[in-house]
Amino acid sequence: MADASGEVAAVPASGAANGFSNGAGATPAQPNNPLSRKLHKILETRLENDKEMLEALKALSAFFVENSLRTRRNLRGDIERRSLAINEEFVNIFKDVKEELESINEDVQAMSSCCQDMTSRLQAAKEQTQDLIVKTTKLQAENQRLEIRAQVVDAFLAKFQLTSDEMSLLRGTRGGPVTEDFFKALGRVKQIHNDVKVLLRTNQQTAGLEIMEQMALLQETAYERLYRWAQSECRALTQESCDVSAVLSQAMEALQDRPVLYKYTLDEFGTARRSTVVRGFIDALTRGGPGGTPRPIEMHSHDPLRYVGDMLAWLHQATASEKEHLEALLKHVTAQGVKENIQEVVGHITEGVCRPLKVRIEQVILAEPGAVLLYKISNLLKFYHHTISGIVGNSAATLLTTIEEMHLLSKKIFFTSLSLHANKLMDKVELPPPDLGPSSALSQTLTLLRDILASHDSSVVPLDARQADFVQVLSCALDPLLQMCTVSASNLGTADMATFMVNSLYMMKTTLALFEFTDRRLEMLQFQIEAHLDTLINEQASYVLTRVGLSYIYNTIQQHRPDQGSLANMPNLDAVALKAAMAQFDRYLSAPDHLLMPQLNSLLSATVKEQIIKQSTELICRAYAEVHAAVMNPDNAYKDPENILHRSPEQVKTLLS
Amino acid sequence: METIWIYQFRLIVIGDSTVGKSCLLHRFTQGRFPGLHSPACDPTVGVDFFSRLLEIEPGKRIKLQLWDTAGQERFRSITRSYYRNSVGGFLVFDITNRRSFEHVKDWLEEAKMHVQPFQIVFLLVGHKCDLASQRQVSREEAERLSTDCGMKYIETSAKDATNVEESFTILTRDIYELIKKGEICIQDGWEGVKSGFVPNTVHSSEEAVKPRKECFC
Repeated sequence: MADASGEVAAVPASGAANGFSNGAGATPAQPNNPLSRKLHKILETRLENDKEMLEALKALSAFFVENSLRTRRNLRGDIERRSLAINEEFVNIFKDVKEELESINEDVQAMSSCCQDMTSRLQAAKEQTQDLIVKTTKLQAENQRLEIRAQVVDAFLAKFQLTSDEMSLLRGTRGGPVTEDFFKALGRVKQIHNDVKVLLRTNQQTAGLEIMEQMALLQETAYERLYRWAQSECRALTQESCDVSAVLSQAMEALQDRPVLYKYTLDEFGTARRSTVVRGFIDALTRGGPGGTPRPIEMHSHDPLRYVGDMLAWLHQATASEKEHLEALLKHVTAQGVKENIQEVVGHITEGVCRPLKVRIEQVILAEPGAVLLYKISNLLKFYHHTISGIVGNSAATLLTTIEEMHLLSKKIFFTSLSLHANKLMDKVELPPPDLGPSSALSQTLTLLRDILASHDSSVVPLDARQADFVQVLSCALDPLLQMCTVSASNLGTADMATFMVNSLYMMKTTLALFEFTDRRLEMLQFQIEAHLDTLINEQASYVLTRVGLSYIYNTIQQHRPDQGSLANMPNLDAVALKAAMAQFDRYLSAPDHLLMPQLNSLLSATVKEQIIKQSTELICRAYAEVHAAVMNPDNAYKDPENILHRSPEQVKTLLS
Repeated sequence: METIWIYQFRLIVIGDSTVGKSCLLHRFTQGRFPGLHSPACDPTVGVDFFSRLLEIEPGKRIKLQLWDTAGQERFRSITRSYYRNSVGGFLVFDITNRRSFEHVKDWLEEAKMHVQPFQIVFLLVGHKCDLASQRQVSREEAERLSTDCGMKYIETSAKDATNVEESFTILTRDIYELIKKGEICIQDGWEGVKSGFVPNTVHSSEEAVKPRKECFC
């Protein structure tokens, strides 16, 4: 548009110029003279401005060298000839040009033909290779796509498939060893099986399911192989040295994902170790160590406590060792219940020794080694039950059950032995010895009891258990003993009986006082002693009063009633009788020890004897005080009572203290 | 196949009550001194069990089974059953308690009585050496006694961990040397020493498990 606009603008300018020129030519005046007109016309033409004219003149000057009439008349002919010559030369030259052009034309034609031919051929070739190029392009595109897919597949395989090496490891050959790499491969399988779940959330569910199934199968194959290997390894652990390898521990860690296989493997381990422990126990019992050192345990079977103790100590150490082996085996296992697994398997391992142990301990117990040894064995068994349960826990392990059974059996036999001993006391009750001291039966029984309690004191069982035992032991031993003493003393006189009982009870008390947990029984014994002491105190007081003649007087005074009249008038209570009694009483006061019951000298305890004397003296003082009060009473009509009883009760008390 | 330890030694720990046997073992096996109110300070009831691996040379690990015994008289009938399966032991006395030192010979005599003609390898341990100001037994006197009785002597403290590791190392090394010399044998039926080697995997294991004709046991 702009160009068009420019051209439109230019056209008016040219038109204007043309208009101007025409206007300028019309305005000059015209001369009348023809010559003048010619000159004017020549002068008006501006030759310098006409390039064609100038050029013509130059050309003319080249050959019009002479200005003559003849030359001027021939000028037209010369010019025409010259023009013809030039034209001929031009034609000649043009001919060459024409020829050259034709030659070029031929060349160009040839080239054109050649090009045409080549173009045709190219076209043909192009048509032929068009498909090829298309295919090539397609193939390249496909190649690129396939490469990408190959990368994707490689990544996919790397993530969701195992290498052939890993496959070989998991399948393995029968009997081939399991190595560290196996567990890595197994971990890979688990990882894949877990990771493949993402495929199920995409549109690749078929692939996901197939891979999942494949990995599951591989896992089962691997676990089966691992189980076979672990089982075989455990089966080989039948030596004394139980060398649990690190790989076996790892195997258990892996197998915990398969509870059944895990349990079977543990069972296999337990079975292997069980036979080892049994063999070891029998060897320890019968063969001892290498070359007989240490000695066989059975060499000490004559010493029941040592024999049983050695067996139980061996089992304690064996149990602890087996638990250690299991802890090494399961150290990587994180599943719940590992502790229970260990306890259960240890229980199973030690089950085999229960029968030989039981047979031997039963033999010891039923041989009736005596109550004291039975008691010690019972406590030893109780101790080991407690100690070994710390290792195998409180599960129903057969070893613990066996030890408990033996404990109960020994305890039962012990109490039976004690009861038998006690029953013998009642079968033939012996009379108390003349000195009213403890009978030999009592002494023997108390010696036995002391030995039992002493062993109890050095017992190894916990305090509360000891306390419970004590009650039963004391009851079993002392109750028949007390009954025997009572029966034995039943035919004696009051004082003799009381003395005998006090002595017997005192013996029991002093025996028990040395030991713990006897406080209640001691209290009971003390009560019984005090009851018999009361008897002796009364007997002693009565003895003294009778000997000094105050007995009748005191009794009469106690039974006297006012309506019977005054005491002074009663038979045997007159002033003369009283004075005679007081004379004897004075002799008693001067030497109280002369009037002791003979039985008091039979008392085993000086303290008890002192107590009896002291309290009987108090009774005597109290009796005298009553007599004194009665005599001083005016109602009783004693004349001059101060002369009859010349000592006050306080004086008597002072003299007797 | 990886082997964790080459031998297992069963050791017994004896000595008077309250000399610190259990604290010594706690320090060695658990690396700490039990607090004054922890159950570990209670008197041992009968026999207690500890376990630890000890490396006596690079790559040579010994597993120690340690049996801690009660020193009280009432447990004597039980603890004496544990001598028979021990290859070595620690005889512990308290350097601040002269009587515990005077009982060392009694303990040795009892151990000997229960294992003769076999001999347990003992290390005499003067414990509680952190209480130097209360010392009642001089080192020289203890060393004389240990020499007379054929033992080595070392002073330890569980409280500040003095010589605890060293004491176990010394005894373990001594036993190991005796095994190498063939004076102590590994055989079934005796738990004092157990072999942890798997035969044919390491050359020296074959030597270890091979029966020796020159055995003096």
